[in-house]
Amino acid sequence: METMLAVEGLGKSFKNKEIISDITFDVRKGEIMAILGPNGAGKSTTIRNIMGIMYPDAGTITFQNNAAQEIPRHKIGYLPEERGLYKNVKVMDILLYLAELKDYPLDKARERALEYLKKFDLEGKEKVSVEELSKGMGQKVQFIASIIHEPELLILDEPFSGLDPVSQELFKKEIRLLAEKGTAILLSSHQMNLVEEMADRLFLIHRGQKVIYGTMDDVKTEYANFKCTIRGRNERAELERLPEVQRVEQEEDRSILYLSKDVQPSVWLKNLPDHLVIQELSIDRISLHEIFIDIATDKNMLKEAGEISA
Amino acid sequence: MRSVRNTMKVARWEVKRNIKNKSYIIGLFLTPAIFLFFFMAPTIFGGSDDDSSTTTVFVQDQLGVYEMLEETVNQAEFPWDMQQTDIAESEIGSALADAENTAYVILDDRVAESGTVPVYTSEGVGQSFSGQLQALAGPLQALQLQQLGLSEEEMAAVTQGVNFQETTAEELAAGDGGTTETSEGGISGMMLERLVPGAFAGIIMLSIVFSGMAIFQSASQEKKDKIAEIILSSLTPNELMQGKIIGYFLLGLIQVAVFIAVVLPLAIWRLDIPVLEYLFVPELILLVGIAILGYLLFATIFVGIGATMADISTAGNFQGMVMMLPFLPFIFIGPVLSNPTGLMAQVGTYIPFTSPGVILLRLATMEEWPWIEIVIALAILVVSVWIFMKLAGKIFKTGILMYGKNATPGEIWKWIRA
Repeated sequence: METMLAVEGLGKSFKNKEIISDITFDVRKGEIMAILGPNGAGKSTTIRNIMGIMYPDAGTITFQNNAAQEIPRHKIGYLPEERGLYKNVKVMDILLYLAELKDYPLDKARERALEYLKKFDLEGKEKVSVEELSKGMGQKVQFIASIIHEPELLILDEPFSGLDPVSQELFKKEIRLLAEKGTAILLSSHQMNLVEEMADRLFLIHRGQKVIYGTMDDVKTEYANFKCTIRGRNERAELERLPEVQRVEQEEDRSILYLSKDVQPSVWLKNLPDHLVIQELSIDRISLHEIFIDIATDKNMLKEAGEISA
Repeated sequence: MRSVRNTMKVARWEVKRNIKNKSYIIGLFLTPAIFLFFFMAPTIFGGSDDDSSTTTVFVQDQLGVYEMLEETVNQAEFPWDMQQTDIAESEIGSALADAENTAYVILDDRVAESGTVPVYTSEGVGQSFSGQLQALAGPLQALQLQQLGLSEEEMAAVTQGVNFQETTAEELAAGDGGTTETSEGGISGMMLERLVPGAFAGIIMLSIVFSGMAIFQSASQEKKDKIAEIILSSLTPNELMQGKIIGYFLLGLIQVAVFIAVVLPLAIWRLDIPVLEYLFVPELILLVGIAILGYLLFATIFVGIGATMADISTAGNFQGMVMMLPFLPFIFIGPVLSNPTGLMAQVGTYIPFTSPGVILLRLATMEEWPWIEIVIALAILVVSVWIFMKLAGKIFKTGILMYGKNATPGEIWKWIRA
């Protein structure tokens, strides 16, 4: 697959404080690559450096294996995290202006704008002034603006923030469709569940540094170990002595046993001691959401998992 | 090449979206309308023959100048029936309610303090009345100056400026022994030749200074609407900034065009001078050039400052002071008019912020142009425009992306040095 964007060793500091350091990843044609991380992890900083809105202190950014300095702005669609539209203009006017800035033919832009407005339930709104749109409608218009010129690389910074579930689905569907048509998509989010469903690869960032980078499947098999949740009062020490248990979390009568990577759930279950108090028991994989929370709250689950897999 | 194209795209957009904006359109026609109202009203309606009904004018005189005013009125042959009164100011309202074609003029300390004369008029007082009132300004001004402690001579020099009588001006020039070299007040043919293009350039400059202030709005709106980052994904901050400057320049020119289309025909019709002949002289090119440089200077300053502010209503002291810069030349109007070659006039010529206004003023009033001063001032102006363009570019680049917060002078200084 053709690499559309390659970021290598990216670093940026403000006032001697390192915001991001040694960020390396790439985005390929037709895939959805997600940058994940809690608020303030450095996602937007990374993206703004790619877009040339900030200048990195270290590292290189290459578009389409082209070492040329110039950012191919006309081939990139960008939806920033902090976004808005001119207020006192008509929807179609602003869409055409943004298309014109990308040197996209205006008649084609008009056609595409109408088509997308219809798709996003905004049919007939092209002559409405932007200030009359609701927040959600505004978001949709911004999204249309970012793809109206058929970009080869689409960069979406927190595209789902502030959207209702229906619009979220709409966006997800559209983003997936764009990827299928060959657009390379880089999106950032702190909503793990959304990303888990749609991303092909992910880059998990925390405090400006890489935590995980890989395909969704790899990440799942690598990091998403089994965990066993038991309801019933049991001694913590005893649970910790059970085989394959790496860590135990207890909260009142609920215990979560984090199991090692190679555990075979059926065998492990058979070997549970008879005297264990079990009112309920469930066994499932750690979700990406939990990994994410874990990182964001600085617990060490992932670190242990990481060490074991290393 | 692409950079120029991008700049023009932004410029076109700014023009287009303003022209579609109701408040711009209203302002477009309101400006010449206001101008016409204030400047042409006395000339248009001032003829004493078109309104012959007599106005009863009560003067409440606390200053003891009634007789002097009566004399002025008699000389001017205004259709006034002047009477003295000692009615209290608070009772005038009820007195006027059932009177017709009656006016009350209050002369008290306010004349000296703030130069204001309260005038209350009833129904039926024609518009020519306000024009006639201006005739009283001369004597009252003299009184005001007397209280400021000016000598007779100084007073004569200043008040003569209001009195448009050529003979008196000559007498004065002779009597003053050449201390003032200018022909004050007297409007001769030679003067008009300078004055008309000068006034024209002044109108251009004022219009574009006002539209320059709209730039400021536009830059800070860009931040408020949070669209800057979307726009900057397609072009560079410099292209955006230059596009705005050019766009608002064009908007200013549109304003000038409308202004001229409305005012010029009227001026030709009402004023008894060959306006067009005086307007299209070679000097006009220089004057317009100065006006444009003035615009560029303020436009760059405003676009930079606008980018540091999230909202015009939260302007800090620093930004507020910068906003006042275009009005700086007003300080120089008095000194320059009284002595176009004096020290103040020269100082004003060399300060970039006042230079366009002061030069226009001086060139409009002087018969011999001080070419060396003009060249030096133009050089200073061009260099200043260039420097401010660079500075504004740096401020704009960082400021425009700083949403929701105003930059402090310290931060702005840091961006400039970065």
